[in-house]
Amino acid sequence: MKNNPDGQEFILVFRTNINRKKDVKSLSPVLNGCSEIIKWNIDLSDCDNVLRIEATHPDHEPVIHLVKKAGYTCEELTD
Amino acid sequence: MIVEHGFEGLSMHKLAKAAGVSVATIYIYFRDREDLIQQLYAEEMQKMVEATLRDFNPESHFDEGLKVQWLNRMNYCFENPYSMFFTEQVKHSPLFDRSNIDTRFLHAMHLFVHRAIERNEIIPLPVEIYWSIAFAPLYQLVKFHIAKSSMPGRPPFILDEEKINLTLSLVIKALKP
Repeated sequence: MKNNPDGQEFILVFRTNINRKKDVKSLSPVLNGCSEIIKWNIDLSDCDNVLRIEATHPDHEPVIHLVKKAGYTCEELTD
Repeated sequence: MIVEHGFEGLSMHKLAKAAGVSVATIYIYFRDREDLIQQLYAEEMQKMVEATLRDFNPESHFDEGLKVQWLNRMNYCFENPYSMFFTEQVKHSPLFDRSNIDTRFLHAMHLFVHRAIERNEIIPLPVEIYWSIAFAPLYQLVKFHIAKSSMPGRPPFILDEEKINLTLSLVIKALKP
């Protein structure tokens, strides 16, 4: 169990340029190592390459920072 | 959308636009496109199962039970043609997970056939052959009816009660011992 005392979950979605399994694999350690991320997946079948995260907080910024640091584009999906 | 354009033609963008919601909203409810298709399939199958089992008694005489089945399945397909084509698409795709089939439905069908065999109303057959005789003719006629055309040069095909009864009697004859 991840540290999430109040059990609240937030779903954050991002548009990225992660479109190959290879990239998902290389990003895995980064996202798996983040204690605020409960679950994540990337929809490779869709054109937005949506990164979907179930997190313990509602902030998009820390995730964007992480993904960009790993060398990918990442922006909040709002439309 | 899936029926008209196939799975590849389904983008979350197009779907969101058609549904009047944001892409982000769709991703709140569905993990990814595959998850969306699978949840949609499960829901459609559930509706189909409910409709198929309506007023159906698995202990009934085979002839009677099959007629109820045919009418239920036919009416469901006529009322939900998209559902029929969609569930077929999923069944023929790698997304199809056989373990998700409703056990209540399987149990009812199993009981129905086995009681009929015990009472010597039909012959025992491998299930694929049984299904191909007992139900495939119905679905083919339903498709002709929905497409409003059948063979080249033929007038539009209307599946009415008379044609149902005629086909059903032939099917039952084929399955008799």
